[in-house]
Amino acid sequence: MKIVTHSSLLLSLLLSPAAYAIELDTQTIAEVKWAVNSEDLTNQAVQLVVKPELSAYFDNGIKLTAIGKFNVETVDGLQAEDMDRDNYSDLSRSALLGDSVELELRELFFEKALGNNYLTLGKQQVVWGKADGLKVLDVVNPQSFREFILEDFDDSRIPLWTINYEWQINDDSTIQFLWIPDQSMHALSERQASYAFTTPRIVPSAPDGVAVQLNPVERPSKVISDSDIGLRWSAFIGGWDLTLNYLYHYDDLPVFYQRLEFSPSGATVFVDPKYERSHLLGGTFSNAFGNLTLRGELGYSTDKFFLTTIPTDSDGVVKSDEMSYVLGFDWFGFEDSLLSFQLFQSVVIDSPAGITRPEVDTTLTFLAQKDFLNETLKAEILVLQNMNESDGLIRPKITYEWQDDLKTWIGLDIFHGDKQGLFGQFGHNDRLVVGLEIGF
Amino acid sequence: MKQIKLITLVLASLSPALFSSLALADLPSGDDIAKNINARDEGIAVARNLRMEMIDRRGKSRVRETRAFRKYFGDEKRTAIFYLTPKNVKDTAFLTYDYEDHAVDDDQWLYLPAMRKVRRISASDRGDYFLGTDFSYEDIKLETRVSIKDYTRKTIGEDEVDGVHCYLVEEKTIDTETAEELGHLRRENCVDDAIWIVRKSVLWDLQNKPLKTIYFKEISKVQGIWTAHKIEVENHKTGHHTTFTFSNVDYEKGVNDAVFTQGSLRRGL
Repeated sequence: MKIVTHSSLLLSLLLSPAAYAIELDTQTIAEVKWAVNSEDLTNQAVQLVVKPELSAYFDNGIKLTAIGKFNVETVDGLQAEDMDRDNYSDLSRSALLGDSVELELRELFFEKALGNNYLTLGKQQVVWGKADGLKVLDVVNPQSFREFILEDFDDSRIPLWTINYEWQINDDSTIQFLWIPDQSMHALSERQASYAFTTPRIVPSAPDGVAVQLNPVERPSKVISDSDIGLRWSAFIGGWDLTLNYLYHYDDLPVFYQRLEFSPSGATVFVDPKYERSHLLGGTFSNAFGNLTLRGELGYSTDKFFLTTIPTDSDGVVKSDEMSYVLGFDWFGFEDSLLSFQLFQSVVIDSPAGITRPEVDTTLTFLAQKDFLNETLKAEILVLQNMNESDGLIRPKITYEWQDDLKTWIGLDIFHGDKQGLFGQFGHNDRLVVGLEIGF
Repeated sequence: MKQIKLITLVLASLSPALFSSLALADLPSGDDIAKNINARDEGIAVARNLRMEMIDRRGKSRVRETRAFRKYFGDEKRTAIFYLTPKNVKDTAFLTYDYEDHAVDDDQWLYLPAMRKVRRISASDRGDYFLGTDFSYEDIKLETRVSIKDYTRKTIGEDEVDGVHCYLVEEKTIDTETAEELGHLRRENCVDDAIWIVRKSVLWDLQNKPLKTIYFKEISKVQGIWTAHKIEVENHKTGHHTTFTFSNVDYEKGVNDAVFTQGSLRRGL
């Protein structure tokens, strides 16, 4: 249930020596979500989220945006304590009030136009890329995997403290510079959580009879030398939307280095997670041709690490560059409808032997959306299918807007396929979801 | 004598049609009227508040408050609309580049705040309804202009709207493909010949059944430029209505070019 308050107040505050008029705009969204496991009919989620948002417009052209989040989750498996919280930097970590209540400052940033340039300063989300639901370049911000990829990206993306400067070269091209000293990383579920990863693509496993000890993660801690830097050139040329992107960053997923040690009590695999640096170079394009929109993005990452099953490997991981791309086709040929198809491929460049993921990993997505009743009723189905492990996710959903700030939805999240796969690992989590969102 | 009587009889029977033809011949041609409409001063740039009210057949109303901008860059027209309220559509933004060269498709983008991405959208389905309203994307783009390239037109008579004299111009889509793109077969515009602005437009769908009627109301001069402050659409197929109300219309302050960029769509106002 989403409760949105909207009120516009015009205040005049006297700040010596100059007078500043401030226009305040506040809104609150309240959302209630209930998810029930479709196999055993147990509750998977009973959640209340309240998101207050404040925008303040100052006379000197500065705009301040603050977005908070009050999250109550009553079901074990999706609560804050079910998530690893060491991934957050101290400034970005949420506060817990008991097991089920979490308070978070989602975003807090100032925006100011400087001539034709634009500065955004503070905790924010920066979204790159043209793909829907697949991430090649949309990796500036890490992600929470509390519900795997089922949460809206706007909610699952972890905002970072960032200096974001956009230089408008001319009407059709811009250069964006990012400096990100915030070293928050992906939020992964703990082992007891509903959406804890088990796939060997991500999680190392030990042979039977060998104990495993997971050590604390080694994370970057130096504000300057461990910060991320991003550059993006965007242009509109001859009908094409183009970008070139570069990000020097820590991969948001730790590398699980492993070492085997023997003691009188037996063999133990020590797992030493550590975040590693990577250069990401890529680009995007999009254009429309009649009813068809073509879009794509490509990313080349250096120094990626992959788990290996070769027993003689000294640390259980191998290093290689990786190239990923998404090619998307959006068809607008039917009235008030969208049919969208995407091909995603990720290639491990050096072809190392024994890695636990496919060398060429292929996923297809299909989205069909149709609006009815002047966009008050929307029906959609999203299908994601991995071609290597024949697993996937199917998400039909119907949303109805009763009035401007009141909507309800019902949907299914159906995982299928190989339990070792990225989607198939959650085959036991198929669920029916109903939700209500109110704004005031 | 008999022959004279016969001629008189024939003339008498033909005279209504003949007079009608002669009367129509006196009226300006449809093409000339269209040119006059499109030659009307719209200013180089305009900024205004746009209130969209949508009412379904049961009387349930939804209201969107937006800020809308239009600017000519030579012969190219750019339009941007930023949604301010309510929350469920706040920060949604729409941008279109309408090129003078008819062979070049328009370029259109939509910023969806839930995705935080500017999405390129097809400009081909110009007849699709714009974000839940009864206006099509083409209506949004044209505002009070008419499309020259999409129709053949002829003046079919005279009429009155709200006590104002106007010429009735019938426009027929030039081919099936255009009709399908626009979502209608033909339309009849009632054009105020004093100020060359359409006061009423009636559209028929692809089956030649009544589709919708658009009324341009509260027309007055703002900073010397004729401006329709209210545009109403009545959808005959669904019973749905949409009213656009313009306020704080300003042609003089100018609009920064940067408003018509994808960066501006993302950041909002």
